[in-house]
Amino acid sequence: MKLVQVFALGVALFWAVGCGPSESAGGSEPKADAKVVVALLPKKKGVPYFTSCAEGAAEAAKELGIELIYDGPTSGDAAEAVKLVDQWTAQGVSAIAVSPNDPDVLGPAMKRARDQGIKVLTWDADAAPDAREFLVNQATPEEIGFGLVDAMAKDLGGDDATGEVAIVTAALTAANQNEWIKHIKTRLEKYPGLKLVATKPSNEDQKLAFSVTQDLMKAYPGLKGVFAISSVAFPGAAEAVKQAGKTGQVMVTGLSTPNDMRSYVEEGVVRSVILWDTRDLGYLTIQAAKALVDGTLKPGATRLKAGRLGEKQVSGDQVMLGGILVFTKENIGQYDF
Amino acid sequence: MSFVRSREFALALILAAMLLAAWRLDPRFVHPRAQMLLATHVWELAIVAVPMLLIVLSRGIDLSVGSTVALAGVCLGLAHERGAPPAVAILAALWVGAAAGALNGWCVARWGVHPLIATLATMAAYRGLAEGVTLARPISGYPEAIARWSQVPWPMTLFLLLAGAAAFVLARTVWGRWIVAVGYEERAARFAGIPVDRLKLALYTLSGTCCGLAAVLLVARNNTAKADMGMGLELEAITAVVLGGASIDGGKGKVSGLVLGLALIHFTREFVSWHWKRTELNLVVIGALLVAAVLLERALGSGKGSRRTS
Repeated sequence: MKLVQVFALGVALFWAVGCGPSESAGGSEPKADAKVVVALLPKKKGVPYFTSCAEGAAEAAKELGIELIYDGPTSGDAAEAVKLVDQWTAQGVSAIAVSPNDPDVLGPAMKRARDQGIKVLTWDADAAPDAREFLVNQATPEEIGFGLVDAMAKDLGGDDATGEVAIVTAALTAANQNEWIKHIKTRLEKYPGLKLVATKPSNEDQKLAFSVTQDLMKAYPGLKGVFAISSVAFPGAAEAVKQAGKTGQVMVTGLSTPNDMRSYVEEGVVRSVILWDTRDLGYLTIQAAKALVDGTLKPGATRLKAGRLGEKQVSGDQVMLGGILVFTKENIGQYDF
Repeated sequence: MSFVRSREFALALILAAMLLAAWRLDPRFVHPRAQMLLATHVWELAIVAVPMLLIVLSRGIDLSVGSTVALAGVCLGLAHERGAPPAVAILAALWVGAAAGALNGWCVARWGVHPLIATLATMAAYRGLAEGVTLARPISGYPEAIARWSQVPWPMTLFLLLAGAAAFVLARTVWGRWIVAVGYEERAARFAGIPVDRLKLALYTLSGTCCGLAAVLLVARNNTAKADMGMGLELEAITAVVLGGASIDGGKGKVSGLVLGLALIHFTREFVSWHWKRTELNLVVIGALLVAAVLLERALGSGKGSRRTS
C-alpha cells in the first residue's frame, strides 16, 4: 500500500510539474535557443531603484525582440548573486549584465561566464576590469557633484546664494562619495557666497546621519544647506532638519529615489533630489548588451546607437548614460519608483 | 521487500521523477556540464548537514550553524588580513568553529538548556559577534593556497569522507549506538551509564568544527569573508535532515537518507530558480519541502508504531 502511495506521489509530481507548463512553453522552445537572452542582475531585487531600472530594461528588450531575465538576490547577498550568474552561465545565455554588490565575490563568477563565451558587462556599479567588457555608467562624478551644487545654489536663491553649507557623506573611505565631494568643492568656487564648513561621515547609518546633522546645525548657526550624499544619509539629514523646525531655513539635497524622499519634498524640507534616469539606465544597459552580442559594440568603439536615447558616448570601456535628473515639488508626481 | 517500502526508495523515486520533469521542461538543466557548475553551491550545506543529522539523532538541534559559519569565516578573513599564513588562517577558522560549537554543547549538556533555546541564543550572538569584529565590512583577496579548497574535488571529497565516517560511526561503533540511545530515551541512556553529557558536548563541537570547514570552503569560493554569509543555512540543513527521514524527536535517521534529502533540496532549489527565474521562490520551496517531508513521514512511518510519547 505504501508503495502505491509513493508511486502515485511520484507520478503526480511528474505530471504536475513536467506536463503542465511544458505544453505552453513547448512551442517556443526551439525559438528560444536562437533568441538572444540577456540576464540583468540587480544588487538587490525588490528595491524601487532597481525595479524602475528593470522597467526600462523590459522596454528595451521588447523593442529589440530579445528575452530578458531579471532576477537578483532578495537579501542583497552577493553569494546568492553568484549562484544566479553560475546558473545563467550553465544555461548559456547570450549576455549577463551585473550590478555587483561586492565585486570581489562576483568577479570569479563573471570570469567563469566569460570563459564560456558569454558577454559580460557591468551596470550601475563596476567590477574589476578583467571581469567584464563594458561598464554602463549612469553619470560621471562630475555631473553628480556639479548637479548637487547647482541644485543647492538654486534652492538658496540662485547665483548670488550665500550661507554656510556642509556635507554629510557615507563613510570617509567611500570611493564614489569622495569623487563627488571633489567635484562639489570644484563647483562651489562658482558660487562665492557659499562656504563649505564641514564634511562629516554617517557610515551608511540613518540614525547617525540624523544626529550628525543635528550637531552641525548647533555648531554652525549660520548653516543654510546640507549635502546628504548617500541614499541613507539623505532621509536622516532631512528628518533632523524637519524635527529641528528649520524647514525652509536649512536646505537638504542629495541623491535618492523619488519615492524615498517624496514626503520631504512635499513638506518643503527638501527642494531638489538628484538622480539619473533609472529607467534610461536599464534601457541603455540592455541596448549595450544587445550591441555587445551583435558585435556592434566592441573595444575601441566611441558611439553606441541606443534606440530612443539616440547615440550615446562610449569612452574607453564605459558606455555613458549621462544627464542627471532633478526631482522637485513640481515634477516628482510624474515619477513612481 | 523492506527496501521498496523504505524511505530511501521513496526519496530516490521522487528525485528521479523530479529530474525527469526537469529534463522535460528544460533538457539543458540535466546536462552534466550544467550540473558540474551548479554542484559547487551545495557542499557547504552538505558538510553542515552531516553533524546536524547526528545532533537530531540525539534529539537535539543546532540553529546556530549559519551564524557559526559567518563567525568562523570572518575569523579566517581577519587572520589573513593580519598576515597569518593560509594554513594558520584556516586552522583559526576551524578552531573558532569548534569553540563556538563547544559553547553550544556546554550550554546544552552542562547547564541543561534546551538546545532549541541555547542555539537560538548563540545564532543571534555569533552573527552579532561576526558583524561586530568586522564592523560588517567584507574582507577580500585570498591567495591560491586558500582559494584552491573550493575547487574540484576538495569540497566533494571532504563531504564524502565526513558522510562515510558518520555512516561508519552510526553503524559500527558504540558511539553510534549511544547517539541513537540518547535520542531515543535520554534518561534510560543515563541510567545505562552512557556518558550523555560528554556525548552531547562532542556532537555540538563536531557541528561547530564542520561549520568552520564550511566557512573555509565558502570563503575560498567567494573570495570574501563577510558577516552575512551562511544566512539561512540552519533552515536548509534541518530540512535536508528531516527530508532524509530523520525524526526530529530523535533516535531515527540514516546517512543515506540525508544524502538523498540533500540531493532533492539541491536539485529542486536550483531548478526552481533556473526555470522560473525567481529567487524569492526559493524560500517558499524549501518551506514546502519541509512540509512535504513531514507528510511523507506520516504516510510512510505511522503504521509501524514508531511514534513515541514523551
